[in-house]
Amino acid sequence: MRASFRPRLFIDRTIRKQSCFVIRCENCVEMLFVRGSGNCVQCDTPLRKNNFRVQLFEDPTVDKEVEIRKKVLKIFNKREFDFSGLREYNDYLELVEDTVYNLTNNLDVENTKLRMEQYQRENRDLIQKNKATLTREQEELEELLLLEQQGNEQRRLDVLQEEQRQLNAKRKNKQALLDELEKSQLPATILLAQHKVRAAQLETQIEHQKQTVKPTNLFSTGIHMRQTVSLLPAPKIEEVLYRYQPLHVETYGPQVPELEQLGRVGYLNHVRAAMPQDTAGGYSSALACHRAVQDAFSGLFPFKRMNS
Amino acid sequence: MFHNSSQKKYWIFPSEDEVEHKRSKANQKVRSKIQENVKPGVSDSMLLERHEEDVLFRHYEKRLLDFCNVFKPVMPKSVVGTAIMYFKRFYMNNSIMEYHPRIIMLTCAYLSCKVDEFNVSSTQFVGNLVQESPAGQERVLEQILEFELLLIQQLHFHLVVHNPYRPMEGLLIDIKTRYPTLENPESLRKNADDFLTQAAMTDAGLLFPPSQIALTAILNSASRASLSMESYLNECLGLKGDKESLSKMYDSMRRMKTLLKKYEFPKAELVNVCKQKLERIHAEFGISSNKRKRGYEEDGHVAKEARLAEEEEWTDEDLI
Repeated sequence: MRASFRPRLFIDRTIRKQSCFVIRCENCVEMLFVRGSGNCVQCDTPLRKNNFRVQLFEDPTVDKEVEIRKKVLKIFNKREFDFSGLREYNDYLELVEDTVYNLTNNLDVENTKLRMEQYQRENRDLIQKNKATLTREQEELEELLLLEQQGNEQRRLDVLQEEQRQLNAKRKNKQALLDELEKSQLPATILLAQHKVRAAQLETQIEHQKQTVKPTNLFSTGIHMRQTVSLLPAPKIEEVLYRYQPLHVETYGPQVPELEQLGRVGYLNHVRAAMPQDTAGGYSSALACHRAVQDAFSGLFPFKRMNS
Repeated sequence: MFHNSSQKKYWIFPSEDEVEHKRSKANQKVRSKIQENVKPGVSDSMLLERHEEDVLFRHYEKRLLDFCNVFKPVMPKSVVGTAIMYFKRFYMNNSIMEYHPRIIMLTCAYLSCKVDEFNVSSTQFVGNLVQESPAGQERVLEQILEFELLLIQQLHFHLVVHNPYRPMEGLLIDIKTRYPTLENPESLRKNADDFLTQAAMTDAGLLFPPSQIALTAILNSASRASLSMESYLNECLGLKGDKESLSKMYDSMRRMKTLLKKYEFPKAELVNVCKQKLERIHAEFGISSNKRKRGYEEDGHVAKEARLAEEEEWTDEDLI
């Protein structure tokens, strides 16, 4: 039975879990019930055969916590809306987390369960109401999804019908030509010319149909076209106006000419000119020149009191 | 840039006395450490005096400069300047008796190559030690790598050093552009370069901003060629109305020139005497090597024997 502790060693990968949160692989589950009464080997809780769930997460502790959380949240299902302030809501959330934590790690299980039952008794009505709203919301969502799906289906069918119609029209045209060739008195060339004209007309008709926009009565956001919607203006926030102050760096030396001025003043004549390979990368001789001059002037007058 | 660099904030001192004071303090600290902890009762004459330390320091500095000058591939000047500056800064707060300058000087050069982005692999670096066998080079490399972190720490992690070479270029460009009175500024370059090399051996880097050193170099070179550059200072650098700043500037330049004149390379006999003393100190008290051994045990490193065995394997496969 040691093997049941390591379900992954078994070839059969489906792993089952149970209400006492011990992991068993499927083989071991069957073996357990063949052997006689259903008691978990590790924790000695009585087991029922239909009370097994497939494990969803790799880590067993995570799976256990997820299950416990679902149960707890069925009871503790208040929403932010039900609280008077942020502080109370956060306290409530902390209570929920503590409950889940205690139950997951088997700390103080008795007290926690008692507290849960007490909460349930006190807030029975609120719990019921919240359950109802939850189900209602879920139904609404489902309805919306259904509508969307129906719309998609409809569009698909329309497109198919359209294509079908066009194919039929073309076929009829060809058939008409053949019939006329059979019955009519006019020479073949004239008939062919007529047929060509008709085919061209059909083509342009199809093109036109593709381009006509189907009239609709809904905007893309879901609002009806004729409906008047009142939109509130965005709230105004008053703040102090920002004033830009240029950055001032103390260099303790004479002022360095700007990068753009270097060429004009004549500095660039005394620096090695940039080769085409250099300029391709964005280098210009002004950069090297500027750096050299900056370095030459920086810290030249460490004692001088500079005016701002 | 220099004006908001760590060099300006922490490594520029107001006077030579302050620099000297720090060095004496380091010397004193090691002396008391040796006398109290390592081997009490040692006579003072065995330990290095301040001036003897100075002699050795200048000797090893020159050796560092020579090592960098014959380095293959050719080391740019800024890398050499940075290495010398690291050497100076390290021995301002530490004593030669504690860490042997031979290794520290190589570590300074190695670190300087890295910081200045002069890409040299470690094997290439020790390959420049032509007197050593490949095994010896390996050992030296090991020691360098051991001391590298210590060096960085003693530099207070201030690794960017501003050298006067680029400011000199900048000043020459400025002179050519804005000071047409001087006909051929390029003629000043050679003398200014020599001045800068000499200044690197003195404490000028610890006392003056690099742009000032560069300016002094150029003005010195100009006065050597009997050209007057007063008007450059007045007009182009905007010091015309500011008598106070101008006099302060001249004062600094005078101090710098004195520093250069005062520098003299110690005589060979004196150097040898001091060297012997140093070797004896390191052999007997070996503070830094003791530290290393203790460090190994504390870190739970593999014993040193195993490493030596590895070294022997390496010697055959050495590529140099």
